[in-house]
Amino acid sequence: MSTVTHTDGEELLRVEGLTVAFGDDPGIEVVKDLSFSIKAGRTLGVVGESGSGKSMSSLAVMGLLPPEARASGSIRFDNEELIGRSNRSLRPLRGERMAMVFQDPLSSLNPYYTVGAQIVEAYRAHRRSRPADARRVAIEAMERVSIRDAGRRFDHYPHQFSGGMRQRIMIAMALVCEPDLIIADEPTTALDVTVQAEILELLRGLQRDTGIGMLFITHDLAVVSEVAHDVLVMRGGREVESGAAERIFSEPADPYTRRLLDATPRIDDVQEVAS
Amino acid sequence: MISYTARRLASAAGVLFAVVLFTFVVFFVLTPDPALSICGQTCTPERILDIRTRLGLEDPFFVQFWTFLSGIFVGRSYGEGATAIVCNAPCFGYSFQTRQPVLDMITDRLPVTLTVAIGAAILWLIVGIAAGVVSAVRAGSWWDRASMGLALGGIALPNYFVALILQWVLVVKLEILPFPIVVPFTEDPVRWFQAYLMPWIVLALMYAAMYARMTRANVLETLSEDYVRTARAKGLPEGQLIVKHALRPALTPVATLFGMDFAALLGGALITETVFGLNGVGKLAYDAIGTNDQPVIMGVALLAGIAVVLMNIVVDLIYPLLDPRMRKGTH
Amino acid sequence: MAMNTQTLTKRLVRKRTTRQWRRPAVIASVVFLAVVVLMAIFAPALTALSGSGPYEFHEDRIDPIRGGLPVGPLGGISLEHWLGVEPLNGRDIFARIVYGARVSLTIAISAAAATTVLGVFFGVLAGYFGGIVDQIVSRVMDFLMAFPALIFMIAILSALPQGNRPILLITVLALFGWPSTARVVRGQAMSVARREFVEAARASGAGRMTIVFREVLPNLGGTIIVMATLSIPTFVATEAGLSFLGVGVQPPTASWGQMISSAVPWYASDPMFFAIPGTFLTLTVLSFMVLGDTLQSALQRRSVTV
Repeated sequence: MSTVTHTDGEELLRVEGLTVAFGDDPGIEVVKDLSFSIKAGRTLGVVGESGSGKSMSSLAVMGLLPPEARASGSIRFDNEELIGRSNRSLRPLRGERMAMVFQDPLSSLNPYYTVGAQIVEAYRAHRRSRPADARRVAIEAMERVSIRDAGRRFDHYPHQFSGGMRQRIMIAMALVCEPDLIIADEPTTALDVTVQAEILELLRGLQRDTGIGMLFITHDLAVVSEVAHDVLVMRGGREVESGAAERIFSEPADPYTRRLLDATPRIDDVQEVAS
Repeated sequence: MISYTARRLASAAGVLFAVVLFTFVVFFVLTPDPALSICGQTCTPERILDIRTRLGLEDPFFVQFWTFLSGIFVGRSYGEGATAIVCNAPCFGYSFQTRQPVLDMITDRLPVTLTVAIGAAILWLIVGIAAGVVSAVRAGSWWDRASMGLALGGIALPNYFVALILQWVLVVKLEILPFPIVVPFTEDPVRWFQAYLMPWIVLALMYAAMYARMTRANVLETLSEDYVRTARAKGLPEGQLIVKHALRPALTPVATLFGMDFAALLGGALITETVFGLNGVGKLAYDAIGTNDQPVIMGVALLAGIAVVLMNIVVDLIYPLLDPRMRKGTH
Repeated sequence: MAMNTQTLTKRLVRKRTTRQWRRPAVIASVVFLAVVVLMAIFAPALTALSGSGPYEFHEDRIDPIRGGLPVGPLGGISLEHWLGVEPLNGRDIFARIVYGARVSLTIAISAAAATTVLGVFFGVLAGYFGGIVDQIVSRVMDFLMAFPALIFMIAILSALPQGNRPILLITVLALFGWPSTARVVRGQAMSVARREFVEAARASGAGRMTIVFREVLPNLGGTIIVMATLSIPTFVATEAGLSFLGVGVQPPTASWGQMISSAVPWYASDPMFFAIPGTFLTLTVLSFMVLGDTLQSALQRRSVTV
């Protein structure tokens, strides 16, 4: 359990003027002067097309940028500055205070180890425990994400699960140390639409129960509308506009946002097919 | 499932048969007069006639081949009656020069070859893999460049050259080691170790170099995998991350290569054994080439080929153990 | 987003490629190989210059009292004999080195050429045409690769005492060497065969051989060159090994491997005798490997597509 409890709406993460650049001067800037904040119990949806810099900003928060990239600006988590810190100093935070769920659960899970072993690994990285206790915790985590027969499936390998189940395992792994913040980078993009809905419901439920803050990255506006309280639209590394979800969807201020909304197919839209 | 194993075994049997056939053809058809070569260099016309009769060299080719092939399973005899030479199953040939079945000669020498092979294997696995991992993790650093440069040197240096250099430096110049003479381990462990040390180093050098390069390339690849990023995101200590998540998957191809390399060494590290005067299978083959003892050469070649084919099967069968994705019944 | 990182990193990587060719190791390798090749080509001229041929005996340069050791330091190095002389027979080592270079390079390059031709032929046959042809060729490749090549090469070579030694060596080397080239070419041919432009050519009615020569082979060009270059050091080393064991080039023809073999009994008293050919051998193999490696990474970078 986290040592600090957060009240709903309390600010967990504050990013100010984040810039991520590749290569030496001048370098290529993939994120330019980005600012946002995440609050406990609330979800910020970051939307944008490919290349908008949304994934890079999330990697910057976790300190997982590739070695060619450099981040500047300010990222404050629980009043600690994260930019410029070494991997070693960030390790206590990763998994324990903030966790990440990646897009492709098949490639993001190690095929050589059972899923149970990987969840246990995440737990024992930060909590001293006997193997039997860690196993119990891991099984509980699997049950919380609605994996049936968790005790038996603990010993199965990633390739033995379906895409949706694998993503649940990633989520279980991310939550096993009860972090304050969860970053989900396109967690539903690789999944079928029906499974997508289940995962989103799962995430919403978990947030209700645990009060974690969530940074949800996607290119799919329909998905954003289902999870996010606040929305940040990105393009070309910059913020286009941001605000409460209802406002963005009903009264988009920026023409780019409007174009994104228009491009989203809606089930009640009837279009004439050109004959 | 069963059909896969059956198919694999059938295919291997086919390759083994081809190996035996090919070996037989090379040794009996290529040489102008097998009897002369088998007889060796201390020959008389009476012996040649004797050998020709015994070997059934007047028989058609297929009869000869069949006799040889069945000899492997049930044994055979050379000649008839009281003067017949019996070669018990499995019979891989008979050396008329030393008057011994080839298989016996090989099994006599096998312990030395095994000692050389196993000692070198332990050395090269540890050094090669460790160097490869460190190089991959510190890619681009001076350590990486230096160790990869050394690896290149290790591959380029011929092992007989290294043997001579080592002997000259360690035995003659610095006098750290005595001239290597093989004594049984039970008699004098220290001398035993001293005798095998240089052959181990010489043999291990080239393999360590290759394995270092291979491990480095594989680990670089696995380090860029998504699951390593996940492991880092979980906050794992770097050491644990590298060994469990980067090295373990990278070792699968290394393990299969090791199986093949080790099997090849069971046929004797010919050059190394010869240079250091170790009485192993390799030296047996080399000496037989010198005295033109064809059955021995053929026997060693055949057994080496069989060892490789068998190891191929073993590697195929244990692959699922190494890579969970390949396991049957888990899809 | 992942695609973006790749593009960006590749842009940076391409900048490093041109710098790679200027690395000291690469330059040194190219220079050394040029020296060796020139040595091989101009061997007769060089020995005329140095004053001693590879088969002459200079008994005045060895000291019978000391058991036939060369007179003078470092194995008899002097103005007349730039790399010294051999013990007992007093042959000029420099002359034997340059003639040995001839032998080693000729055999290795010819074997590489033969292996490449065979490998490409069978590789394309198996990879492009597929089906039963592929099955047969692959079985043969598996079979040949299962063999303990060294023992067989030695056995074959020792069983045929007469004959043109170099040709024999080249044949044997190519016989056991083509499968490794063929395997790689087969893989490449298979993937090229599925590419769109081949489909297009086929659809437009082009004949099979035309497609092979116009579309498939050019795309394999880089791979072929790299494999050929990388096979040369293997053949140099193998030929030297075979000559060391006495089944390769026969005396009095000079070969670096054979020189080392002669040097074994003298390793303690005249270390230069084994060190000189050994060093040349090692550096030649090393230089070819560096060259091949560099070509290979240049090829990989060029063919990187997003």
